Amino acid sequence: MNCRDWEERISLHAGGDLPPLEAVELERHLRECAGCQVLASGLKQSLALLQEAHDEPLAEAHFSAVRARVVAELEPERRRGALWARRRAWSFGLAAAVVVLLAGMALWPGRTPERPAPVVAANHPLVIADPEEPPAVPRPHGRVARRVVPSTVPDTPDPEPLMVKLQTDDPNVVIYWIADRKRGE
Amino acid sequence: MERMKALALLATDGPMDDSEDHAKPAGFPLEAAKTGDLAAFELLMRQYERLVLVTALRLLGTLEDAQDASQEVFLRLYRNLNKVETPGNLSGWLYRVTVNVCHDAQRKRQVSGPMEDAAGLPALGADPQRATVEAERRRALEMSLRMLSEKERTVLVLRDLEGLSTEEVARALGTTEATVRSQVSKARMKVKDFLERYFRRRT
Repeated sequence: MNCRDWEERISLHAGGDLPPLEAVELERHLRECAGCQVLASGLKQSLALLQEAHDEPLAEAHFSAVRARVVAELEPERRRGALWARRRAWSFGLAAAVVVLLAGMALWPGRTPERPAPVVAANHPLVIADPEEPPAVPRPHGRVARRVVPSTVPDTPDPEPLMVKLQTDDPNVVIYWIADRKRGE
Repeated sequence: MERMKALALLATDGPMDDSEDHAKPAGFPLEAAKTGDLAAFELLMRQYERLVLVTALRLLGTLEDAQDASQEVFLRLYRNLNKVETPGNLSGWLYRVTVNVCHDAQRKRQVSGPMEDAAGLPALGADPQRATVEAERRRALEMSLRMLSEKERTVLVLRDLEGLSTEEVARALGTTEATVRSQVSKARMKVKDFLERYFRRRT
């Protein structure tokens, strides 16, 4: 075998990349061939030199400069992301509140017992004519005298408003939905 | 050759790189970073910044380009954190993305940057003689890498400088182990020839 044919194997062997059997065979050749020994030794020395140069530490400032640039670029990105997350939480909270409100409104009448017949209250004061009273003498200008009778509808207190409390992801934010209820509801 | 030996011997008792400490998985902040915790992500960057920046520096040759590439790699990491399932996947992912980002940068650049940049980085040691030797060694490294093709350089950096296995290199580059072996063999021969000429000329 020509020494040129050994070159690739010597090169691989210098970096420890030759399979064991081939390495044994190569080492046998190296013991017999001075030219290949020089080649192998030169390869190992050049690799050692490169490795030593490569392993020299770099100044910390070079690394911290990169870190600072990365953080400076990521900080606004992270803030935008947090803002979007908060908005998303708000919209989910709002949607949930609407759902709860609608459900509450739909279910509310079912919870109350039999509702009393609605009392029809006159919007205007009733006017009742007294039969024992002489008929009203028409006034010169033609207007009829009338007696005002107070409304028979009893006063009922205003009902409590409907209030739904909704807790969001943010412990500092609580949503209250308040809806007025009609009388009798 | 003698000069190379001297440099190599001098380097054996040189300062140790503390980067391995950064790669320790203790208190791994990956899960916290996934929730958008920037402080945790900064911790994650500290653990892997040497891997990314030094690899980029070897592939691109200038510190400025390497820092730009590192920034891009970490931004991609932040935006793809959910794709990284375990810390064990992270190194391979970072090597792959670093290589891709550097290759993109090289294609955009197309013109070789100044050679002095990476080689001219100030040495950390206080001894001026040692600093000179280290600067010389860095220059040799940068020039050796620069005369390789993109593929050869990438394979040599990952296999011989970063110490990945042939299988890991193949996985990071999306190629076969046979291709990696062939490329790394050629790269080593070229580097050896270059360094012999380089030091012969300088002595």
